[in-house]
Amino acid sequence: MSTTSLQAHLETQQRMLPAEAASQSWRRDALASFAARGFPTRREERWHYTDLRPLENGQFPLVPRAPSADTRAVARALLEKQGIDLAGERLVFVDGHLDATLSRFGAVRGLEISTPSAAWDSFSPERATAAIPARVYPLALLNTAFLQQGAFVKVGPANDPRTPLQFVFLAVGDERSAPQPRIIVELAEGAQATIVQHFLDAPGAATGWLNLVTEIVQAAASTLTLYRIQEHGPAHLHTSLLNVRLGRDAALTAGYIERGGRLVRNDIDVMLVEAGARADLFGLTLGSGEQHVDNHICVEHAAARTASTAAFRAIADDSARCVFCAKVIVQPGAQKVDARQASDGLLLSPRAEIDSKPELEIYADDIKCAHGATVGELDEGQLFYLRARGMDGAAARAMLTLAFAQVAVDRIALAPVRARAIAELAARLPEARAGEDTW
Amino acid sequence: MLKIHDLHVTVGGKAILQGLSLDVPAGEVHALMGPNGSGKSTLAQVLAGREDYEVTAGTIEYLGRDLLALKPEERARAGVFLGFQYPIEIPGVNNAYLLKAALNAQRRANGQEPVDAFEFMRLIRAKMDLMQISKEFLNRSVNVGFSGGEKKRNEILQMLMLEPRLAVLDETDSGLDVDALKIVAAGINSRRGPERSTLLVTHYERLLELVVPDRVHVLVGGRIAKSGDAQLAQELDARGYDWVQNEAVRT
Repeated sequence: MSTTSLQAHLETQQRMLPAEAASQSWRRDALASFAARGFPTRREERWHYTDLRPLENGQFPLVPRAPSADTRAVARALLEKQGIDLAGERLVFVDGHLDATLSRFGAVRGLEISTPSAAWDSFSPERATAAIPARVYPLALLNTAFLQQGAFVKVGPANDPRTPLQFVFLAVGDERSAPQPRIIVELAEGAQATIVQHFLDAPGAATGWLNLVTEIVQAAASTLTLYRIQEHGPAHLHTSLLNVRLGRDAALTAGYIERGGRLVRNDIDVMLVEAGARADLFGLTLGSGEQHVDNHICVEHAAARTASTAAFRAIADDSARCVFCAKVIVQPGAQKVDARQASDGLLLSPRAEIDSKPELEIYADDIKCAHGATVGELDEGQLFYLRARGMDGAAARAMLTLAFAQVAVDRIALAPVRARAIAELAARLPEARAGEDTW
Repeated sequence: MLKIHDLHVTVGGKAILQGLSLDVPAGEVHALMGPNGSGKSTLAQVLAGREDYEVTAGTIEYLGRDLLALKPEERARAGVFLGFQYPIEIPGVNNAYLLKAALNAQRRANGQEPVDAFEFMRLIRAKMDLMQISKEFLNRSVNVGFSGGEKKRNEILQMLMLEPRLAVLDETDSGLDVDALKIVAAGINSRRGPERSTLLVTHYERLLELVVPDRVHVLVGGRIAKSGDAQLAQELDARGYDWVQNEAVRT
């Protein structure tokens, strides 16, 4: 699409914003910046593996219409049937709109949740958006320009991390749209939280694009565990940014389980701002069909004695393509840093592809950095061992594939989320436990 | 039980077994000895159905069936067990799951009901005691982080659970200290019976002091060069393999 037609599309979309939103100057600035810059192209290094033209050419409506009563009824049924049953607060978005009847929040001590229409100030760029480098993540500009829904969450020391806060994004309606939700979470000093993001599509939903931005600011000694279960339909488009800044001795654990979507690009940007902060990132991608799933990670160690790990696994079947790019930056003076990255890929089909690219940018000398990448097929020796114990070839292959995935799944500490990930695997690998009860 | 006749096997184009013939009748324990490179492990792998080993001539009959026509899993379900010289590590598959899946694959093939978790635990408990394996072991990934001795005891535990008619144990004694060797030997001896046969592949004699074989065969240059009773193992221990090799050349 040419610059002028992109500009025309964005202007048309902008006119559909409610008057109150349209008048916000930060929104207009973001729109102008994005229009001038355009969608990232594969000529840019960060976007080399992922072609965003389906997002651009789709000319998606960026201001989704409120869902009809019918759509909301389908959403309710979908949530009841396929939602992850977690106690605690829950915000449910149906085609980009917060559904008040399906959501429940405001009752937990230690969690203060507000939504954009109630508190636009919380979403202004001065608040947190400034932390996102638009240069490297231009889709955040688009999100800023069109964000209307989301949540601003303040987590206090009284919050109980055993009770997770859940965000559910449902795509239900038959009208194409591209919601641009934003979630901002601030953890106070010593606060702890568990957050689950769940993406789910109704079978008849239109092919949509979700462009989610999650910004997290963790004060000293705070702890956050964030899990994502991405179960979009096979045609859905999905882009996400998780931007986290960690203060002294703060800890982040983030686990990504990616199963759905036709084109998925997840960016994780972590800045370890103060000494003692640590981030542990892990993920499992199950790619099949024509799926393209790109996990792009950047961890910046800006202070001494910070630590990070990133361990991502991908299983690519059919013509799927899975990408893992992870960059570690160690800034000058950030001594005693420990940074480890691992990516392991399993190819189940000769047409599947897995790309793994580790990058290190190091400006300090007293540090430990390690990265390892493997891509391969199932191990013949292991297959023979299982067959020599009586498993047939298909069962042995499924068992080993499951075992490969299990390493990532076992890191999910929250039982219902782990169970959901296991159910995903069981659906993908029916032979693995056929006739067996689980252990 | 097992009748091997004039077996020729090549691996990667190289002839390893060259006319090996061997009978292991039901109820007997036979030892297959021989120097490194004589083809002992190749025979063990061929019996289990390793596909990259090419059988160019000869027959293997197991309980009256053509063993070579069966896939590895079919052999296992029919009661052939290979104890691996180098047990494979499988991260992410725990021992209990593997053992139960193996047992139930065999039971289903024989028209028996699969065992449930409760029954499985009942079956395995005494066998774990015999092999001096602790309960936590069941939840560990197969062979991952196991010592050499633990891996071999695990192989024997699998054998005891699957109760094969024919067990082929490939260098199960290698890398074991005296205590572990005794445990492994006790496991092997516990399965001796009129309907079960065992082929011990080894090149040391010390296991054969604890598991006294009915017959001892010496494999040299891809064929059986000499057979005898348990005395032969002691003679090999005292004199080495050279005299058998020389004798074989002379005949």
